[in-house]
Amino acid sequence: MEYMQVLYAFFACLGGCLIFNVRGKELFLMPLGGAVGWFVYLLAAPFGNDIFQNFAGTVVLSIYAELMARLRRKPATGYLLVALFPLVPGGGIYYTMEYCIAGNTDLFLETGLHTLGVAGVLALGVLLVSSVVRMFGRSPGLADGNRR
Amino acid sequence: MNYNQLILMASDLGHLLLSSGAEIYRVEESMNRLLDAYGVEHNDVFAIPNCIFVTITTPEGETITKIRRVHRRANNLDRVDRANDLCRRICREKPPVEAAAKEIRRIASRPVYGVWTQTVAFCLVSFFFTLFWGGVLADAVCSVVCSICMKGILLLNARLKAYDFLTNLMASAVAALIATSAVSLGLAVHYDKIIIGALMTLVPGITITTFMRDIMAGDLVAGLQRLTESLLVATAIALGVGLVLMAPRLLWGV
Repeated sequence: MEYMQVLYAFFACLGGCLIFNVRGKELFLMPLGGAVGWFVYLLAAPFGNDIFQNFAGTVVLSIYAELMARLRRKPATGYLLVALFPLVPGGGIYYTMEYCIAGNTDLFLETGLHTLGVAGVLALGVLLVSSVVRMFGRSPGLADGNRR
Repeated sequence: MNYNQLILMASDLGHLLLSSGAEIYRVEESMNRLLDAYGVEHNDVFAIPNCIFVTITTPEGETITKIRRVHRRANNLDRVDRANDLCRRICREKPPVEAAAKEIRRIASRPVYGVWTQTVAFCLVSFFFTLFWGGVLADAVCSVVCSICMKGILLLNARLKAYDFLTNLMASAVAALIATSAVSLGLAVHYDKIIIGALMTLVPGITITTFMRDIMAGDLVAGLQRLTESLLVATAIALGVGLVLMAPRLLWGV
């Protein structure tokens, strides 16, 4: 039942694609990245640490994005932007705010720091994959011969 | 070669990329490459999310500088993709500057999805994110109602040229109002899930991740600017939702 979330993530990302004015086959391939990311997040659940789950999901979806960028000859950023949608801590931001209003300072600080941690781990995962790719391969988005 | 036209064309390309939500390094590298391709050895580009500075020194030793402000930014992956392709093609084929400028204008005037498709997109996002975060079907339907009203407010405020802060505040307040009323009328169950789903389109989650990437990649000014931006949006949303959630407590003491 938990895995229904993967399907929800796919359709939510499809909506995100339309907001970002994506056209053509990418309307299927970009949301697929979001579904893959969340699937890996769920697979990593036995580790019992949601920061690690976020990291694993981000790394896999970044690899997917870089792979697609090569196959489809498009910037990887689009795939990343859409696929990160389900992992982005929207709920965390909301609960941080709610605790703030309720005057519950302990929970406010805890949730706020946790949310920042999740955002940091997402950025770290994306950067890790893209820098490894930059070191060992040509970046398809920009490089075309005359690299400085 | 007319270097004034060249720098204008290069800054047009940068403007197109930046206003469509391309990353800072992509804007800077694309412009560097383009100017390199036309034989301008000394060229420097500095970009932050709302401004581009470019300076070139012509082979005759004359220095030309151009500053381009970017006022409106919206993520448009279709344009980023096409502008990126065009930049590579220009670097390879080195067409006359006028022809290249014409191509850039053609991409800038490519169609975007209409109001109805965008509304459907908002509905899709809020419906499925409410389910995703653990809401029931009634919550998801309620979230769709919220996001349609939010889209209405966004369109209205865009026409009135209201500040983004006010727009976000109003949109999130309306979403929270609908969600809490629906729950107290017994039409839906989790008001928090409804609000999260509906606000997913406004919440600066993507910006927060982008700012961290900018900072780690060394674009510190751009990163700080995006951080401020995301804090502003988050504050507006928190204020909007907060006002609505607090109102009953203040008025009736519940």
